[in-house]
Amino acid sequence: MIPLQWLIGICVVVGAVCALWRARRWFRGQPAKVDFVRGLMRYPRSYFVDLHHIVARDPYTARMHMMVAGGFTAALLLTLAVHLFNIDSRVLAWLLLVFLALMGVGAAFVAMRRSPKRARLSAGGFSRLPWSLFAFAAAFFLATLPKAGLVASFAALSVPGIVVLLLAAWGCAEMVAFLPLGPMKHSFAGAMHLICHPRFARLGAARPDSGLKPLDLSAPKLGVETPADFKWNQLLGFDACVQCGRCEVVCPAFAAELPLNPKKLIQDLARAVDPGGNDLAYAGSSYPGRSVGHAHGGPSQPIIGDGAMIHPDTLWSCTTCRACVQECPMMIEHVDAIIDLRRFQALEKGAVPGKAPLVLAELRATDTQSGAALASRLDWAADLSLPLISTKGECDVLLWLGEGAFDLRNQRTLRALVRLMRHAKIDFAVLGEEELDTGDLARRLGDEATFQDLAKRNAATLAKYRFRRIVTADPHVFHSLRNEYPAFGARHEVLHHTMLLDELMTNGALPKTKAQPTKTTYHDPCYLGRYNGEIRAPRAILDAIGVERVEMERSGMRSMCCGGGGGAPVTDIAGKKRIPDVRMEQARETGAAVVAVACPNCAVMLEGVVGPRPEIFDVAELLLQAVEAA
Amino acid sequence: MAIDVAVLVSVGRHPVSGRARRADADARAVELALSIAGANVRLIHAGDPGEPALRDYLGMGANTMTVLRMAPEADPVLPLSAHLSSMRPQIVLMGTRAEGGEDSGLVPYLVAQALEVPLVPGIVSLSLAGERAEMLQGLPRGRRRSLAASLPLVATVPVMAPAPRMSAFGLARRGTIEVKDVTAAADEARAAWTEGPARRRPKRIKVMKAASAADRVRAVTEMAAGKGKVLQNLPPDEAAKAIFDYLVAEGIVQAKP
Amino acid sequence: MSEERIRRDPRAERETRRARAVEAEEALAPAASESPSGRIRRDPRAERAARTGRAAEPVAAQPSAVPESESGRVRRDPRAERASRTGRATPVAPQPATPVPSGRVRRDPRVDRTAQRQATAARAEAAAPVKTVADPKFLILAVPDLEDARLSSHDKDVIGAARGLADAGGGAVVVLAFTGPEGVKDGLGEAGADRMLRFADASFAGYAPERRAAAVLAAIQALNPQHVLFPDTGVVGGDVGRRVAVALGDRAASNVQRVAPDRITRRGRGGRADFALAPPRVLLVAAEAADPVIDERYEARELPAPRTEAVPRVKDRGLAATDPATVPMAEADFIVSAGNGVHDWDAFHRVAAALGASEGGSRPVCDAGHLPRHRQVGASGTLVEPRCYVALGIAGAPQHLQGISKVERVVAINADAHCDMVKRADLAVVGDVQALMPALERIAKERRHGN
Ligand SMILES: Cc1cc2nc3c(=O)[nH]c(=O)nc-3n(C[C@H](O)[C@H](O)[C@H](O)COP(=O)(O)OP(=O)(O)OC[C@H]3O[C@@H](n4cnc5c(N)ncnc54)[C@H](O)[C@@H]3O)c2cc1C
Ligand code: SF4
Ligand code: SF4
Repeated sequence: MIPLQWLIGICVVVGAVCALWRARRWFRGQPAKVDFVRGLMRYPRSYFVDLHHIVARDPYTARMHMMVAGGFTAALLLTLAVHLFNIDSRVLAWLLLVFLALMGVGAAFVAMRRSPKRARLSAGGFSRLPWSLFAFAAAFFLATLPKAGLVASFAALSVPGIVVLLLAAWGCAEMVAFLPLGPMKHSFAGAMHLICHPRFARLGAARPDSGLKPLDLSAPKLGVETPADFKWNQLLGFDACVQCGRCEVVCPAFAAELPLNPKKLIQDLARAVDPGGNDLAYAGSSYPGRSVGHAHGGPSQPIIGDGAMIHPDTLWSCTTCRACVQECPMMIEHVDAIIDLRRFQALEKGAVPGKAPLVLAELRATDTQSGAALASRLDWAADLSLPLISTKGECDVLLWLGEGAFDLRNQRTLRALVRLMRHAKIDFAVLGEEELDTGDLARRLGDEATFQDLAKRNAATLAKYRFRRIVTADPHVFHSLRNEYPAFGARHEVLHHTMLLDELMTNGALPKTKAQPTKTTYHDPCYLGRYNGEIRAPRAILDAIGVERVEMERSGMRSMCCGGGGGAPVTDIAGKKRIPDVRMEQARETGAAVVAVACPNCAVMLEGVVGPRPEIFDVAELLLQAVEAA
Repeated sequence: MAIDVAVLVSVGRHPVSGRARRADADARAVELALSIAGANVRLIHAGDPGEPALRDYLGMGANTMTVLRMAPEADPVLPLSAHLSSMRPQIVLMGTRAEGGEDSGLVPYLVAQALEVPLVPGIVSLSLAGERAEMLQGLPRGRRRSLAASLPLVATVPVMAPAPRMSAFGLARRGTIEVKDVTAAADEARAAWTEGPARRRPKRIKVMKAASAADRVRAVTEMAAGKGKVLQNLPPDEAAKAIFDYLVAEGIVQAKP
Repeated sequence: MSEERIRRDPRAERETRRARAVEAEEALAPAASESPSGRIRRDPRAERAARTGRAAEPVAAQPSAVPESESGRVRRDPRAERASRTGRATPVAPQPATPVPSGRVRRDPRVDRTAQRQATAARAEAAAPVKTVADPKFLILAVPDLEDARLSSHDKDVIGAARGLADAGGGAVVVLAFTGPEGVKDGLGEAGADRMLRFADASFAGYAPERRAAAVLAAIQALNPQHVLFPDTGVVGGDVGRRVAVALGDRAASNVQRVAPDRITRRGRGGRADFALAPPRVLLVAAEAADPVIDERYEARELPAPRTEAVPRVKDRGLAATDPATVPMAEADFIVSAGNGVHDWDAFHRVAAALGASEGGSRPVCDAGHLPRHRQVGASGTLVEPRCYVALGIAGAPQHLQGISKVERVVAINADAHCDMVKRADLAVVGDVQALMPALERIAKERRHGN
């Protein structure tokens, strides 16, 4: 079988060349600190545990992938042994047959998955893939039969010999020689991505690694303008995309038909790296309302712009909900990329749409989003006489009020929380005038300068006082204080109010309540659930007060955004629908009379839905009602 | 043909926090200047070059600003006029009035007088047709007047002009400030003024005419209670009449006698 | 988003109520107390004269011009008295009275006749006696905007302020009116003018600040008024006034909030500070800085207008056509706005047109495409400030109310008597908006257009 040996040999060499060729484009990016050794050592765990954990959420695909990927990897190694190096071993041959059979069955699953055609899966090279897999498996299955002693060996120029050679040529071209360029690219780039992941800490972490990294504001260029401004391992990440469309399915903006599709976004970023890059070869769903084929880019061309690779509306449609990141089997960091791009738009171009520039200007001039006087943050609580930490000096719980304190709706939540804390005799205080906006909104909008300014000043204020922990009813505040402030020297224990209330219920500081038979569904705020992993405490409270709790189709870590994050309400990019309307429809489907929320933004977004709908209450409000009824 | 557009900018104050920032009307003047095709926009400020709020203007896209260094409350008119006379820009723009000091709105008039060029107040757009500027002047209630004048000219930009673009941090940081020392006379007249916090004027009471004391009290207390009149169970014609009468009484619509 | 969010808490509300009560007292104050400056005293003699049908002329010997009147109605200026007691001089010495030498002014018999006719007509209309100042000690010149040949309330306030300055020292108010060829629709006498100067030439109409400034300067030269008052409006009084001040070399006081003979208050620092100073010659007066003249009538005797000349350097090419439907929302004067309660869109467009109002809408109706996106009112739409806002079938969500937080007059029509828009409204009609729209359209057509 000399020709087959040659074929394999050539394909391996071509494959290596192609891999280097492909890798070259990643190095158009910026240097990044990467620990290869650590990455390599951890690779098996990263792949078999962390990645599998994500893939396994879709059992069909998981099974399919295990067969195809496992079968192919083993088969490839054995093929090299058996057919390239001609190791004559029946055992190896038999093993090879088993793995090739497994791969063949997997290829059948791949084909079945694509039929009937599904919108989230890309066509193009991917439509060919099951047949390429099949060709590879069939070719080597036939070629291995003689080696396993099952049939007599056949000559290369016999009919079966030629069939084998042709099939092997097809299979090896796709699966070996041009693997780094075709749809199988994901396996190669994906493996490299896992080893060099830009958020390496994410692998195996107990809690989501979701905090944004501070930007060096003295850098010559702030944020990402061109593909070459990304870190090289971010570019590698984009290349790892397998176009599975899982992110597309979960993206709230895509669901509401805003012009965003995270899958196309990643594909556009991957394609923009090539000189003369375009999206002509993209064969998946487009950004809603926009057709494929208008994107143009290059390694040193601006990515964002009308007529560039990505339209600004796409960039600003994202709510930073992290649903795509949560789902992506290639562990691509969409939100980091989006924020990097936004940083350039905000800091270098001042091109932030909608009302966002006004909000940012108010933040800079008043330290509040609404341009209110800092002193008026306590206006709503005039009758509650909240103790100030500046007069107390120290306390157990420092209550962070947030922007919700300026909003009539959320003052009800805060009022409920304060009354519950009083009921439980918590020693708490507020910062009053000293509390500035956390800067969370500014940061999601890319205005890192305003964020860092606020963060530094807040950190300095917090350093002045003694308290055991910070509690807030706003998950956005919770996230920035807990995950993003430590970089500015503020290391404190931070609790979301549901976590505190759950604790107070458990330790008996709050009384047991009578069961409330209202059918209630809980909407997870992204910044509490996906960003911080806290999906238990709010449910525990609801269960403790005995409501009839029903879950929406999407809940917990895979919940769907209300549309209120990432500054989306202020950039207000138009879509066919509104994200909260889509989410409310899911709530209506449960038949619940009440949607329990745990975030001021969710409350506002969901209350903005018109027409008959369930009532919206914060978990704290529901708990207070129950406690007062008891 | 590039034309020189000078924009005089001042340091504004946020109405609630009082913090220094770009002045709203001046920022709109910069925006308008940047929107003029082929304009070579130069920013000029008379005051303290160290004031960080000045960078807000640089963040809008003009790379340099000339600051005529003088005491913040000195009279800027002479140094500004002198600088402009040597620079000879075709167009001088500025906000209708500042928001951080006297806010007299007189500076543009004094500058125009010193330069001996026409002044056009309250413009919301400007385009060039040869040596002439064609402008729209903003009037109350959304009306616009079309004006034309030959260059050079001084024009002021009101807060109803198009909103200014966001100031970008990176541009603001990189922009350069050229400092020119000038001598400015201290504002002596100003020394005799006394300054206090703005006193909120009581809201004008609606029933002014033939008002008895009792009427006025009633009007004010009704306003305070925020209680409007609620009409229930009226046939549509009567309800419509009540609304129309209200609109006429409030002078919103005029009825034919 | 700089809008205040709506906050409600009992203490704050209590405080507002208290503050409002204080306002009420303040509002009462001028009427109840005999303020020495700026207030018109009634002249019982004149009133009697008017009742008995005698001509007003004999009353001409106005006590205001005769401080030592035997009837004891000597005007006191406590502040001036205080100043003299403490030995401090009043900051601005009253200018030497400049009586207008009637002899020097050439009378135009034609003008006199028109003036007489006007005066007679006015007398027939109003019962109030005509007040005259025959021999003023000084003059105060007021230059109202007279946009559309009408005195705006701001104009009336400015004349009221001039009245206050004049009455405080026995002066007279001269109103300089750019009337346009058609004349003024409102009575200048009722607004408080003792004299008037009319510039009726068409060349003063439209945007003619250079010509107007020249006219005012000529009037100043002829009359030598102690002060010249303008409404501090963007491109009319505020513009002409500044031109006049600059020409005079006077440091005009702009954004004047309170006017008294010796001290005025003007606002600065972006609206956060008040400056008190001795009044300069030119005063650019803010709206509501003084009360207008009410229930009084002055002579408004016409003086001959000086001839003036100026070469305009800015060419007025006329008003750009404005249609209420295309007025930018933020500048609209009157808005009729639709919410989810509106189903009959033809009826909505018709009623807005019949009322001459700009159209607005809540977010859901813009989302649904019933109105274009730029018509959306609210936190994520436009923050509007019309004089009146009519909300048809709008619930009044906080984000919507944020958009109308500065509106003074809100009319709501809603099926739900308990919705927040009804609570916010000054006039609310509870009922079906579909039925109401045609009715309102009908009545608007009948009474606005007479068909
Ligand atoms: C971030 C955010 C920003 C937002 N920004 C804005 C904004 O800028 N502007 C805005 O408007 N909204 C905004 N909203 C939406 C807002 O919360 C409300 O959903 C919206 O204002 C409701 O509009 P509506 O009153 O027309 O509709 P609905 O809430 O459906 O109210 C319809 C009203 O019509 C009445 N009605 C029904 N039928 C009749 C009838 N036949 N006759 C008389 N009355 C009838 C009903 O009683 C009801 O009061 C925002 C929401 C969010 C979350
Ligand atoms: S973060 Fe959320 S909104 Fe943004 S792209 Fe991902 S899924 Fe879509
Ligand atoms: S980005 Fe991730 S989830 Fe989205 S298509 Fe690519 S691989 Fe799939």
